[in-house]
Amino acid sequence: MEIALLAFFTAGYFVLSGADFGIGMLLPYLGRSPGERGRVLDAITPFFLTNEVWLVAAVGFFIGAFPTLEGELLTGHYAAFTVLLLGWVARDAGIWLRGRVDRAAWRTGCEAAVVAGSWAVALSWGFVLAGSAGAPPPLLAAAVVALAALFAVHGLALAALRLSGGPRERARRPFAAAGGRTAHAPTPGRTAYAPAPGRTAYALTSGGMVLVCLAAGSRLPLAENLADPATLALLTPATLVLTPLLVASQIWLWRVLGPVRAG
Amino acid sequence: METLDLARLQFALTAGGHFVFVALTLGLATLIALVQTRAVLTGSAVHERMTRFWGRLYVVNYAMGIVTGLVMEFQLGMAWKGLSHVAGNVFGASLAMETIVAFFVESTFLGLWIFGWDRLNRWVHLAVFWVVALTAYASAYWVLVANGFMQNPVGAELSGGVLKLTDAAAVLANPAALTAFGHVMAASLVTAGFFLAGVSAYHLRRGTAEREFFRRSLRIGVFTGLPALAAVVAFGEMSFGTLQPLKGAAFDGTAADVARLQADAVAAFGPGDYVPPLGLVRGSGMAMLGLFSVMALVSLVSVVLALFPRAVLGLRAWHVLLVASVPLPFAAVLAGWVFREAGRQPWVVYGVLTTEEALSDLPPGLLVFSLTAFTVLFAVLLAVNGWLLARTARRGPDPAGSPGAPDAAPDLPSGSGAPVPAALF
Repeated sequence: MEIALLAFFTAGYFVLSGADFGIGMLLPYLGRSPGERGRVLDAITPFFLTNEVWLVAAVGFFIGAFPTLEGELLTGHYAAFTVLLLGWVARDAGIWLRGRVDRAAWRTGCEAAVVAGSWAVALSWGFVLAGSAGAPPPLLAAAVVALAALFAVHGLALAALRLSGGPRERARRPFAAAGGRTAHAPTPGRTAYAPAPGRTAYALTSGGMVLVCLAAGSRLPLAENLADPATLALLTPATLVLTPLLVASQIWLWRVLGPVRAG
Repeated sequence: METLDLARLQFALTAGGHFVFVALTLGLATLIALVQTRAVLTGSAVHERMTRFWGRLYVVNYAMGIVTGLVMEFQLGMAWKGLSHVAGNVFGASLAMETIVAFFVESTFLGLWIFGWDRLNRWVHLAVFWVVALTAYASAYWVLVANGFMQNPVGAELSGGVLKLTDAAAVLANPAALTAFGHVMAASLVTAGFFLAGVSAYHLRRGTAEREFFRRSLRIGVFTGLPALAAVVAFGEMSFGTLQPLKGAAFDGTAADVARLQADAVAAFGPGDYVPPLGLVRGSGMAMLGLFSVMALVSLVSVVLALFPRAVLGLRAWHVLLVASVPLPFAAVLAGWVFREAGRQPWVVYGVLTTEEALSDLPPGLLVFSLTAFTVLFAVLLAVNGWLLARTARRGPDPAGSPGAPDAAPDLPSGSGAPVPAALF
């Protein structure tokens, strides 16, 4: 049960926050003008904090239910986690601070922090996940690139659902190309969109994120490193009772934010 | 410097940076919850505007608390794996509860509050902020349960080199945790009280048009500060009852006391140096008490003056004093924290695990890299955040009759490329 809970929080993080990082990575591609980039960031701003808390909960449960392994994993990937944290903090600061000063140079600096931070996070996760699965160097490099690509595609899938106008069209284009269809060039006076990848693409990339988590997690000696039964007898039931409430509070937030659509 | 010093410095900078923001956040949450309650109960427009203005400062501050908190959570495992190896069964579980019971809910409900201003029923919106405030307390409680266990490990037994939970109630009711919780909660109210009073005094001194707004805010700050200081000292007294012997001796004992307790510790724990850094413990303890005295004096004078409306609006010398006093509680909480944590050295879990034993096996170069990078990043963010906080405070509330933007989140930065109306931020 502890493994299932850890998997749930971790997968929740990669699905929800992963798309925010993917959008951050591709911000220069999705938004070609300051105005467009602003609208792209508007689409993730209300959600990014409540998405990233899934990782805080995952790491909290990790240290509670698998304390020894948590220490080993974080120490073992000290450099990767350092870069991950630096990127994460820079990305968050970029989002928090962007709208607070009305100067073009300030906004550009904040956007740069979002882009660089998102890339740093996506690449570090590749090192952590593939590294803890014990991949040898050539495979490790391939896995890092593949995971960064998955983050990016997952971000595109969310962008295609949530954005509008030019950014949405650009988010849809790679899916259309992958589907063997060519994207229509916008004609004057009429906005032509590539065929909508819609929810299916987002569901597929989310599934990819979950699979990556489960694959990496399955290589960890979780069952051998459980905390003492006396601790778990309290921690696990408490977490089980609370988890539906946590999910419900997030669903409530999404419903309240429903009308927030950029563009 | 050795790896141990580097890792300790890194943790100290992160935790210290985190703590100054948290002190303000915790206290402000309480005051905002009360002001919003009054606004909803009475329909008072000025209280609603106060909720929005102080709430905006709260959100700016909360963001910094989060990013430093993230680095702290990870650093425990990254640099101090011995702590999770030996004490994970107790320490880890309380951190798990902190993240799941408290932080997750707090952040989600803060999102609901920020974006719910014009979307939620006002009673629901009020309830949402109370959840934010209460989960912030819960967060402080669970963190102090973990810290209290490090100060005074109760309710667990060492078996095979690992601590195992034997009495959860003892861990949850650990006096070292409960007294610290009361002390920190009261200190956070002092911080928020001085903050409200100082920012309000700044505006009143400059002859603001928002006299009613800042007169009320100043009085809330002043009338919070004094009773909160009384609670600080009461819980502080109780905390002194839970001090480790050598921490107490390092603070106010003679050299002979220190030598005697060192000999006792050698007899109990084996050969070693069990004396915490004397100068640091004594200096931080004295700083905490000295700052407390200054704040008590400022508060006593202020409570009397706040009874006279003309003084509140026009006594400019007092306004200057209140503005100058804003940093005092921040300095005091930092001093108190250094006293508590440095005084526990060389132990990380008192009597069970030393800081040196808890350290992960890391090459010094890696720590030099991370310490440098985190220090630079946090220094920049601290400077930016301090500047933003001051600027937001200086600009004052939105003009009456413009209760926030109708369809934008008033308190989170809008990424919109369109020029942002200055009044929003």
